[in-house]
Amino acid sequence: MKRNRMISAVAAGSALLMGLAACGGSSNDADSGSSGGSTTTAAYNAAIGKVFNPSDKKGGTLKLANSGDWDSVDPGDTYYGFSWNFLRNYGRSLLVFKSAPGAEGNSLAPDLAEGLGTPSNDAKTWTYKLRKGIKFEDGTEIKSKDVKYAVARQLDKETLPNGPTYLNDLLDLQGYEGPYKDNDPTMAKFTAVETPDDYTIVFKLSKSFSAFDYIAALPATVPVPAAKDTGTKYKEHPVSSGPYKFEVNEVDKRVVLVRNDQYDPATDPASGRKALPDRIEVELKANAADVDNRLLDGTLDVDIAGTGVQTETQPKILNDPEQKNRADSAPNARLWYSGINSDVAPLDNVHCRKAIMYAADHAGYQRSYGGAEAGGDIATNIMPPQIPGFQKNDQYGFETDKSGNVEKAKQELQQCGKADGFTTNIAYRAERPKEKNTAEALQQAFNKVGIKTELKGFPQGDYSKLYAGKPDYAKANNLGVIIYGWGADWNDGFGFLQQIVDSRTIRPGGGNTNIAVKDPQVDQLLDKALTTTDKTARESLWNDIDKRVMDQAYILPGVWAKGLMYRPERLTNVFVSEAYGMYDYTAMGVQ
Amino acid sequence: MTAPLEVTESAATAPPEAALAGVSRKAIQGRSLGQIAWMRLKRDKVAMAGGVVVVFLVVVAVFAPLIIKWWGYPYDEFHYDLVDDSTGLPLHGWGGMSWDHWFGVEPINGRDLFSRVVYGAQFSLLIAFLATLVSVVIGVVMGVIAGYFGGWVDTAISRLMDIFLAFPLLLFAIALVGVMPNDAFGLSGNSLRVGVIVFIIGFFGWPYIGRIIRGQVLSLREREFIDAARSLGARRPYILFRELLPNLMAPILVYSTLLIPTNILFEAALSFLGVGIQRPVPSWGDMLQDAAKWYQTDTQYMLPSGLAIFITVFAFNLFGDGLRDALDPRAR
Amino acid sequence: MTGGPDRGPPVTFAADVVTYIIRRLIAAVILLFVVSAVTFAIFFLVPRIAGFTADDLASRYTGKTAGAEQTHEMAVKLGFTDPMYEQYGRFVKGLVAGRDFDTGPSVEHCPAPCFGYSFIKQVPVWPEIVGRMPVTLSLALGAAIIWLGFGIGTGVISALRRGTFFDRASMGIALAGVSLPIFFTGLLALSVFSYALDVTPPGGTDPTESGNNPLEWAHALLLPWITLAFLYSAGYARLTRAGMLETMNEDFIRTARAKGLTERRVVTKHGLRSALTPIVTIFGLDLGLLLGGAILTEKTFGLPGIGKWAVDSIQNNDLPVVLGVTMVGAFFVVIANLVVDLMYAVIDPRVRLG
Repeated sequence: MKRNRMISAVAAGSALLMGLAACGGSSNDADSGSSGGSTTTAAYNAAIGKVFNPSDKKGGTLKLANSGDWDSVDPGDTYYGFSWNFLRNYGRSLLVFKSAPGAEGNSLAPDLAEGLGTPSNDAKTWTYKLRKGIKFEDGTEIKSKDVKYAVARQLDKETLPNGPTYLNDLLDLQGYEGPYKDNDPTMAKFTAVETPDDYTIVFKLSKSFSAFDYIAALPATVPVPAAKDTGTKYKEHPVSSGPYKFEVNEVDKRVVLVRNDQYDPATDPASGRKALPDRIEVELKANAADVDNRLLDGTLDVDIAGTGVQTETQPKILNDPEQKNRADSAPNARLWYSGINSDVAPLDNVHCRKAIMYAADHAGYQRSYGGAEAGGDIATNIMPPQIPGFQKNDQYGFETDKSGNVEKAKQELQQCGKADGFTTNIAYRAERPKEKNTAEALQQAFNKVGIKTELKGFPQGDYSKLYAGKPDYAKANNLGVIIYGWGADWNDGFGFLQQIVDSRTIRPGGGNTNIAVKDPQVDQLLDKALTTTDKTARESLWNDIDKRVMDQAYILPGVWAKGLMYRPERLTNVFVSEAYGMYDYTAMGVQ
Repeated sequence: MTAPLEVTESAATAPPEAALAGVSRKAIQGRSLGQIAWMRLKRDKVAMAGGVVVVFLVVVAVFAPLIIKWWGYPYDEFHYDLVDDSTGLPLHGWGGMSWDHWFGVEPINGRDLFSRVVYGAQFSLLIAFLATLVSVVIGVVMGVIAGYFGGWVDTAISRLMDIFLAFPLLLFAIALVGVMPNDAFGLSGNSLRVGVIVFIIGFFGWPYIGRIIRGQVLSLREREFIDAARSLGARRPYILFRELLPNLMAPILVYSTLLIPTNILFEAALSFLGVGIQRPVPSWGDMLQDAAKWYQTDTQYMLPSGLAIFITVFAFNLFGDGLRDALDPRAR
Repeated sequence: MTGGPDRGPPVTFAADVVTYIIRRLIAAVILLFVVSAVTFAIFFLVPRIAGFTADDLASRYTGKTAGAEQTHEMAVKLGFTDPMYEQYGRFVKGLVAGRDFDTGPSVEHCPAPCFGYSFIKQVPVWPEIVGRMPVTLSLALGAAIIWLGFGIGTGVISALRRGTFFDRASMGIALAGVSLPIFFTGLLALSVFSYALDVTPPGGTDPTESGNNPLEWAHALLLPWITLAFLYSAGYARLTRAGMLETMNEDFIRTARAKGLTERRVVTKHGLRSALTPIVTIFGLDLGLLLGGAILTEKTFGLPGIGKWAVDSIQNNDLPVVLGVTMVGAFFVVIANLVVDLMYAVIDPRVRLG
């Protein structure tokens, strides 16, 4: 899922999962590492890998604030990382990322389901058994048809446009477009999901897909009672299946959750949910600087967006040892990068692209995103280190020549036949100061080797749909370097790479998240990875893709993201969830 | 233009009915006006001080590249050695002020603020001057037409001015500049931006000048010397250009001077809202926008650009006020 | 319609007043229509100048799985492909009677006054404007009260004590005041009073969040009020002073004095009254403009009013919102002018209705 709330509105492309085949069992979720215990000593990064201030004390009000917009609180209509993290409080999907510190937080636990999915031999049919006795907030028992309905409704991306499209792409839909178009309450035409009995649900895929358990953990499987579904209006009061339910949901103002008395912890043994506070309040559309101030003076508990404090707040934390002890620099499976657009001459020549790679100012990139503590590490290749099987590959020497390698860049320019440099444009999202700073840093660095650039800021809401993510526009407007960012929908090679390197996801109409990689060899490698059953072999294929993209210089990696998080004193049971790269919102309580 | 921004209302841009009543009711005689006014102006020390500052600023703007070469740094040059690695703050106190960097440096990338402020004067003044020119040209033409011909022409133009005044200008301006494409009318990048901004500020500013001129012409039309010219059989163009226009020079001069600071503020507001000149070319409003994020941790950052706007606008206002007083002592 | 008062005999018949009001009302409605037409035309044309097609606009309403054909269908359905006058006709109809938006599976009704449907939030614009109005209203009205009192007071005293130290000092400060952009004074005020001294809440505090506690509400708005009022006070002080100086020389003041009225009475009853006439004009315009969104103030202090919303919407190319706020802003200006024109009769006995 997206870890950054801002990217999501534009980033969701449809995954054209082509030629997937069995990958052999659901091994991905098996590698739960050891959890790192707990600590009560306030220290920098004390909530990473272990629980800080562990507690079982229930009660109190947890206060969160969001400086931005929620895409939607409807589980079938949301794509923001923090939203997926938070909605575990009021919704239970078939499987769920476990609420635990360290690597365990990256593993899937059964939630509504009794266990992980049972695949057929070809991994085209997946069966889940539901636990008995789980109830909606109104007391009715949750049955398999409620999950089926939830899956069916979110297929309709015209009504519920925000969520990911994995289920649209994977399920054997036979043309089914969702219950809003069908108007048949029995959903007889929706054969891709079957409910042989009240506690069994079967997913039928159009192609083999071994990692379907990750799909079953999407909020899309959070049950929705058909009788209560009001389409676009359902977000006003999603019916709870989790430990909390909505008391207040004022658009743009606030969300208040209170305990759901129909929730029975006995039905929830595996997810690790603590449900400590009696009440959870989220203030929406708060001023970003104000959110930080209130965190620091302790009148607010958490910035729900989970992207870290504002650049301007960093000095207040990093320069004050006492404050720094209450902060965590949480790594995040996200890459801030720039696409190098091979549609635009002379960047169709690999040597000109390489010149960009060498000329770029990596330290400047890092500074623009907030430095090593709050921005992240200089990225040497594409996959972030959290992805299982990650291998570091610094083939251009980004770490040694942090401010760029003028000599090498000039050599590449020579080979490209543009010894004196060339001109192109740098695109960025105008509302994002970090991207603006990056654009300026790159411009400066490119200047040194004779690459003249003009900066083009675009509104972020339409960045992907109408500008940088629309191939015709990008080409016509000479957008050679496109500043962007991408976070894994879940932490594995497919969940991170597919949306940004598969050339077959590129649609001419715009709205693309793959803005730069159009390489048949990469596509082949992707297909091969999905038919490779051996985990190690598959992971090495992800690395091959990474390497190929770097070799061909389609992507200029910038920063492997980190967020500087602040935990006020009164928070208990705090830890960073590896799955979401931010604090776990189902675990924390207040003193 | 009456109050295009929350900032630049009445005083600097008071409508003809009020503070400018002296000028508009009794147009000033053309001939001895120059000398008399100059004498009065010279005696007004405050206005003269404003004038000196204005001249100084214009010189700074024109010679910005030279000044930067001698005492500054290229306005877009990064100085990472002057800012903290992890926090982005300037390493030296007071926003990084030092003998080398008089006004300090920008957080994150360490660009020299002195150079950026000096260079920022260029676009700020250029846009303000050009926009004023546009407003004055349109305003004078429309005002003269309305005032001289009267009747339905006057009504039509007056209504038009009402419509212009009813628009939420600033909003309108940012909407227009904001959606401008990157290339149009054979221009691209910042030259297109400057063109569009000048056009918008100037175009929406004309009713202000137009009303004053209309009032002037209305009163002049009935005066003896125009009557005399008319009865002597002078043709319209002659009356307009030889009799009317010279008598309009004083108010045009005064209100152009007073419109410039308004336009500087307008341009700064547009840049502050992110639709001004594109980076890395510096502009004062854009610098303030950036400084706004740092108001807690690098408070000094807002001072160079903020004071630059203030001093420039203040100097123009002082001078313009003095000019008005000199040309029309009654308004004192 | 903001034209200065014509001088003539005072009103004699109530009937005159009624005809006058009706005439002004009709003029105001016509003006609003012209403004709406021009605004609509510009916002209709601007995206096309920027190179957007009707399909591009429609793509904001379609789901992400939509292909080019579906998007085009949506464009047709929403009428983006129709000629401009037809679209404007629908817009006006929406304003007056509401309209339905067929955005796909369900038909959304947008009740009158319908300013359209936000591209980004997919909700009707009008309720959103209404929801943000309290912030803008609180800001503008509170500041207006302060600046009227302070500005006019200073102006009167300055005029009466012309040439004294007070006069020079206050006029110097006033001139400095009108030379300061609010996004600078606002920032300075924030860093001094909010950050360094910590006596006011930081930027971005929503005054309407204070529940029903008027003290908290005022506390949250104190800094924006004072900053905004300072700038306006400066202008009003200068205007009042100039107006006072002029009127105090007029014949009727001399007559009043000759009648043996006290100086105090002369000033308040006669001098101030006619000196206020131009102030009322300006005040109407200023307040009208502010009510349509105190953009810079709201942006500087992070107040979630309609001005800030409009600017944010512009950045997102959310044209229906921008159109809506522009219209509302124009509406306030026109209404304010109307009120001003009507008030002339009350304030200035020399004004003839006509």
